[in-house]
Amino acid sequence: MEQIHVLEKAFEEAVQSASSTYELRQIELKYLAKSGELTGLMRGIASLPPDEKPKFGAAVNEARARAQSAYDLRLAQLTEAERSVRFEQDRIDVTLPSRMPRAGREHVLQQTFNKIKRVMGSMGFVYFEGPELEDFKYNFDALNYPPDHPAMDAQDTFYVSDTQVMRTQCTAFQGRLFEQVKPPFRYFTVGRTFRNETVDRTHSHTFHQIDVFMVDEGISMAHLKGTLGAFARQMFGEEVKVRFRPDFFPFVEPGVDYAISTPKLFDGKWVELGGAGLVHPNILERYGIDTEKYSGFAFGLGADRIPMMAYGIDDLRLFLENDKRFLEQFA
Amino acid sequence: MKLTESMIRDMVKTELSAEQIGDLLTMTGFEIESIEFVDGEPVLDINIMANRGDGASTLGIAREILAKSPESRPTDLYERLVSGYQLGDERTPLAEVVVESGSPDCTRFSARRFKGIVNGDSPDWIQDRLRKVGQRPISLLVDLTNYVMLETGQPMHAYDIAKLGQPKLIARQARPGETVRTLNGQDHKLGEGHLMICDGKRPVGVAGVMGGESTEVDAATTDCLLESAHFDHMAVRKTRKQLGLQTDASYRFERFVDPEGTVRSMNRFADLLHQATGVDPVAGIADDYPTPPKRPTVKVRPSRCSRLLGMDVSSSEVETYLTRLGVSLDPVGDGFQATPPTWRIDLVREDDFVEEVGRIHGYDKIPEALPIGSTPVGGSHGANLAQEIVLKTALACGFDQAINHTMRDLHPLDGGSLRVKVLQPHSPELAHLRGSLLPGLADTALKNGGESVHFFEIGRVFSNGSEWTQLGMLSQGQFDPPSWNRSEDVADFYTLKGAVESVLKALAISVEFSVSKDPRLHPTRQAHVGKFGVMGQIHPAAAEEAGLAPDTFLAEIDLTALVSETSTERHYRQVYRHPAARRDIAVVVPKSVRYADIEGTIAKACGELLEKHWLFDIYDGPGIDPGSQSLAIALQFRKPSNFTDDEANQVRDLAVRALEALGAKLR
Repeated sequence: MEQIHVLEKAFEEAVQSASSTYELRQIELKYLAKSGELTGLMRGIASLPPDEKPKFGAAVNEARARAQSAYDLRLAQLTEAERSVRFEQDRIDVTLPSRMPRAGREHVLQQTFNKIKRVMGSMGFVYFEGPELEDFKYNFDALNYPPDHPAMDAQDTFYVSDTQVMRTQCTAFQGRLFEQVKPPFRYFTVGRTFRNETVDRTHSHTFHQIDVFMVDEGISMAHLKGTLGAFARQMFGEEVKVRFRPDFFPFVEPGVDYAISTPKLFDGKWVELGGAGLVHPNILERYGIDTEKYSGFAFGLGADRIPMMAYGIDDLRLFLENDKRFLEQFA
Repeated sequence: MKLTESMIRDMVKTELSAEQIGDLLTMTGFEIESIEFVDGEPVLDINIMANRGDGASTLGIAREILAKSPESRPTDLYERLVSGYQLGDERTPLAEVVVESGSPDCTRFSARRFKGIVNGDSPDWIQDRLRKVGQRPISLLVDLTNYVMLETGQPMHAYDIAKLGQPKLIARQARPGETVRTLNGQDHKLGEGHLMICDGKRPVGVAGVMGGESTEVDAATTDCLLESAHFDHMAVRKTRKQLGLQTDASYRFERFVDPEGTVRSMNRFADLLHQATGVDPVAGIADDYPTPPKRPTVKVRPSRCSRLLGMDVSSSEVETYLTRLGVSLDPVGDGFQATPPTWRIDLVREDDFVEEVGRIHGYDKIPEALPIGSTPVGGSHGANLAQEIVLKTALACGFDQAINHTMRDLHPLDGGSLRVKVLQPHSPELAHLRGSLLPGLADTALKNGGESVHFFEIGRVFSNGSEWTQLGMLSQGQFDPPSWNRSEDVADFYTLKGAVESVLKALAISVEFSVSKDPRLHPTRQAHVGKFGVMGQIHPAAAEEAGLAPDTFLAEIDLTALVSETSTERHYRQVYRHPAARRDIAVVVPKSVRYADIEGTIAKACGELLEKHWLFDIYDGPGIDPGSQSLAIALQFRKPSNFTDDEANQVRDLAVRALEALGAKLR
């Protein structure tokens, strides 16, 4: 028994004086492991008289248990101390510059187009694209332009041949669709348009338009206003109001010019966005659609103006210059 | 068109301020561009819609105000103009006008003669008003024609009878070879389809556009013939475009002038002349009006008005609004037979009248509603959807999106020679439609310094009249900005190939990369991307010409063709839970052997057991025969049971033996 006491004491002193987890593990091997000295005391039990065996066995086990918990405690202390040292060595400057994953930047116009597509798509309008180099007949004739009408003066046209023009309006997609589909339908497009205009901060010979139209039974100016309202609120905020004002476009009757206003933008003033109206009955008839049964609406607007208004961009030309310093501000 | 506030108030009694009148006009469709104060008086600049020639006059504007604002009242002047402005004896003319047969473009030709005139200055108040709307006073006769045109919209012209020779005017088609010198001193050659005003012998004016210099009134004029006519709007437009002459008269005629207004305008002129000078018109009006235009009669149903406008409009409201606009209505069945007034040729079918009803009732009363009925599945489908996937993939590959101009100048990177030309370009630099996106991407690269640029563009390109969508890519230099803790990753052929392959993979399309011969690219560092396009390092000559770095890499892919072959079909292949076996081989092969053939040989030899393989090293240093290289390739096998070492070695040996047939030796 004395032996147990001596060994236990020696163990405790060794554990307390251990200064690293490495040393501590050596001590564990010496005393506590399978071949350790404390564990080895059990072997001496064989030489004891039978009545002393249980008492001795119990004493060894108790001593081992105490030693084990002293060891565990010390191990925890030393581990903690060693980690603190290592953590201090590991210290980094979290204010050093980051390492950004490389991700391509989407062009600010594309982001606008995507948003338009999401909004119109969610209202059941199907996306369709017509050509940029368009037949004169789709750009004008199919849209109910009388031959050589003053309405064409507002759209100074780039001709490529007698019959082909750079489309002046995305509305040109209507005729192509009317030839392919029967009502009811809903379509929209986002695309590039061209007019021979003087280039300045708000005008270019090349710009982008959204064009929307649908034909179904009982479509009215109220549906036009509602759809435009829903669209404009998604693009410019929930408080947007829509205003109609009479205007003339050969492909709609009645024809309107629509403006939006919101307390958050444009000082609450009305800002004209584009033209709209009910699809002209001449067009419906041209494609064999019964105007007593069906009616439709159409609206269009400049797409470049949307980010200009939303972000306060004051020069349209920046969009197609692709200066990273500009593009990076939006993606 | 500019009008002073006082001109409007001459015709309308209203409590509305100039600004309120402006708002009212804007909301009837005659948008006010601006209200400016000139010498203390508001001047309204009014935008006239292309189909509303009737609005290009104070009378027309007054009519709109009266229709939209029932509280406003017409003045005596308005009433008098509306009822024809009778003045003096109109029956026995002392002048003659003739519309020569075969001149249908002259609908009506009226004239009135004035004698004993002193053509001095016009009254101060007329000069004042003309100045305020931006016109220059010239002389009494000229100012009066201009002023009355502002009032009634009727263009008129005063001829000096002494210069005409006789008080007679003829409207006829120009004869080949005839010429006329117009008031602005320009000589014009006339031809087929040009309608002229002539004296007995020669043209003295271009009908509806401008009078001639030879018969112009001047300070010596005492005897004048005033022409007031109606010409076909299409004919005037055609003539003024061909002669390159745009005047206030042609502006009005091409938008349509009321043919019933010729006489009242002359009489208004006569009245103002009398007030100014005491001169009376010589009795009688000459008037040739062969066939007054027929007006359509259209059935208008209040029910259709309500249905199309999306707001309730009653039958009596329809009647009130249309009557105020001068439409004659006869009740019939469920609506009216409506006859438009002579000044409105834009009212042709029922829906045109629906618009009038809506305009006057007020579009602000239209509620918002979303369409119901059959809603299609919205958004992008098919090729459009595939194109969106390409866009997303290019972005995910770390490429920035550029959007460049369609019209541009020629460029060394613009492939092909069948460029589409713009007939009358904005400027010489914008005379061609791009045949490739690469020139625009080159511009974009230069705009951003030409180094460490990785851009793509998706856009339309053109050749020989056809149009398709292209994907263009340009990649140069480091992918990442200079950083304190990163190794350099620099663009080369294979990084761009990786981006191209990612796009193809996103569309489930596989292609072969084979040697190509695009003159824009480095002759030995370029490849066909299947049948869809080409990619490679820029040709040093093109790089020099374009100002780009020689290690710029380019790709040009026909997206229209690519997306047409995409498939959304995917088939599941079983994922085995058994561990894979890997064997690495190093083989020495002649450099002339293409890696595609090596890959193909391995795949064929190993069959389905080969899960994947990858090249992890190429070595051609000491120990390797010149002209050869050592390729280190990892092979990974898997099957629905565990591989033993022997089995894995056997499969590897199959690959090695097959490669030996290509001239490969195990290293």
